[in-house]
Amino acid sequence: MLLYSGKSIIRLLIIPILLGLIFSPIFFPFQEVQADNLSTSVTVSITGPVCGNGVVESGEQCDDGGSNGPCPAVCSTSCTINSCGGGGGGYVPPPTVTKVIIQGKAYPQAEITLLEDGKVVTTKKADTLANFEIEIADITAGIWTFGIWAEDKDGRKSITFSFTTSVTAGVTTTVSGIFIPPTIELSKVSLQKGETLNIFGQTAPESEISISVESPEIVKKTIATEEGNWDYSFDTGILDEGSYTTRAKATSPEGLLSSYSEVLSFYIGKGVPGVICPNADLNGDGKVNLIDFSILLYWWGKDDSCSDQNGNGVVDLPDFSIMMYYWTG
Amino acid sequence: MEAKVKKRTKPSSPIKMQNYNSKFKNTIILLIIGFALFPVITFAAILYLEPSSGEYQPGDTFLVEMKIDTEGECINTIEANLSFSQDILKAVDFSQGKSIITLWVKSPEINQEKGEISFRGGIPGGYCGRIPGDPEASNSLGKIIFRIPGMIVGELMESSAEVKILDTSQILLNDGLGTKAKLTTQGATFKILSKLEPSKDEWQEELEKDNIPPEPFEIETQQTPAIFEGKYFITFSTTDKQTGVDYYEVKEGKRDWQTAESPYLLEDQRLQSIIKVKAVDKTGNERIAEYTPEIPKRTFLYWIIILVLIGVGIFWWILKRIKK
Repeated sequence: MLLYSGKSIIRLLIIPILLGLIFSPIFFPFQEVQADNLSTSVTVSITGPVCGNGVVESGEQCDDGGSNGPCPAVCSTSCTINSCGGGGGGYVPPPTVTKVIIQGKAYPQAEITLLEDGKVVTTKKADTLANFEIEIADITAGIWTFGIWAEDKDGRKSITFSFTTSVTAGVTTTVSGIFIPPTIELSKVSLQKGETLNIFGQTAPESEISISVESPEIVKKTIATEEGNWDYSFDTGILDEGSYTTRAKATSPEGLLSSYSEVLSFYIGKGVPGVICPNADLNGDGKVNLIDFSILLYWWGKDDSCSDQNGNGVVDLPDFSIMMYYWTG
Repeated sequence: MEAKVKKRTKPSSPIKMQNYNSKFKNTIILLIIGFALFPVITFAAILYLEPSSGEYQPGDTFLVEMKIDTEGECINTIEANLSFSQDILKAVDFSQGKSIITLWVKSPEINQEKGEISFRGGIPGGYCGRIPGDPEASNSLGKIIFRIPGMIVGELMESSAEVKILDTSQILLNDGLGTKAKLTTQGATFKILSKLEPSKDEWQEELEKDNIPPEPFEIETQQTPAIFEGKYFITFSTTDKQTGVDYYEVKEGKRDWQTAESPYLLEDQRLQSIIKVKAVDKTGNERIAEYTPEIPKRTFLYWIIILVLIGVGIFWWILKRIKK
């Protein structure tokens, strides 16, 4: 009925457009999120004394549960004995330690670098199964952004994986389920159509790697070896001439999910345009840190071919954002 | 009129009913097609204020926290521009204490005359929202401290004050490309009542609790042809987890302390002075970092080598004389 007349064809085209525009926000919660959502397995847990549970634990002077409060209550809301007059004993509370433990997976024998609020604080080696655990003792309670990046056996660096959490005084905050994104490298960045592109890197042993080539998005999968190496031979015959990006994410055999790796570009057809100061390393020392940030600030609002990372003719907010992405501390 | 109503309420014939059903079906099909063809962009970061409403009275000082909901997306850069009713509210300070921003391209600036507040900053490695199990909502960008001047107002002068997040604000994704995220903003409205109770000062309460200095930090000396015409400069940065860093001061050798920002161009380009940087929080707690340049040590080593060479030369000359 509708499809037979010319009018109906117009209706068929226009009405869906209008209806789609009007009603699609209603279906917002049911739609698959288009943006690159962070679906990692990171969780935070807290161990230590819980003031108000009625049990005197390490670091507490007292705990009367719901009776905690100001004088005349014996025990305060912070689980210390109230001084309600009449003197008192010489009780010295045991020292409380505010600690953070970070647990996760990277690559076998990878060098892990930990950042606190963008600054390198320590490095540690992952074991042969790619597991790592880093303990930070005596940290100030408050909101902290931790960043972790790893260097694999072949010297490739991962992107910095960051997470923000609050650290509570006197307890141990354990952040677990971290899976550092895989390292990624390309055999070539400029290819002829039909040539095979080798995409490879490292991850945790026997993890499933999901490689995505964009755009339009093509997803390929492979499994890493027992040593954590992964590679995929991508047939560029299916791509048209032009520029493409690729990235990878991993799922460990235990079910840990990583976020996406660094995004790499390659070109099918003509040569690669020259990149000045790649990856926001403005002084070329192999690190992206406060020095590079200072250089960026110096050129802020001006034109500098090195600091102008997106090449829009001025050093501005997108260039700063690119620097934050490549930050190594 | 009644006849018309009756006509409308009359049950439809089976043929008409079928027609309605088919039209309804078509609408549903078209709706599905339309929905499939034009999905909305489902991601939009939300910048909002907390509390979004409240009742205050002249003489009160209260805190308004600016927060972000990234809707599960990873972001790394925030530019916030706010406006407020400057005739009713006085923005007295901005606390970075619980902010997720660690690097500030532009520290918070308050323009009371225009009723504007703005800042720009970022999170190295990005911020991807709250982690399951996190005991606190770690999504604060900072706290604005507002004061309502303590003038005498009658009941007729009851009014409301607004704080808006302007459309010029922007959020950039942590995608390595500096892509702008879609942004939704939610401001706040506060009711100003006649003075009935003693004034409250929420900011003073926070300041009194803060007895911890800013976090330890390091000074780095640098020289690069890229900036300051290749002259030596220092970089420094730290955070304060309670009330936030207020300012930095630098001292070179015996020179006086002076307020400074990173990067700081050194006055002593010979690098022979001990450099000190002081970070001071909003309460006045201080943390000092010190840097002893390496060059004076090198100069000392240089003189030792020279002395050794002279000694060897004299020894060789004496030996030669003895042999003769």
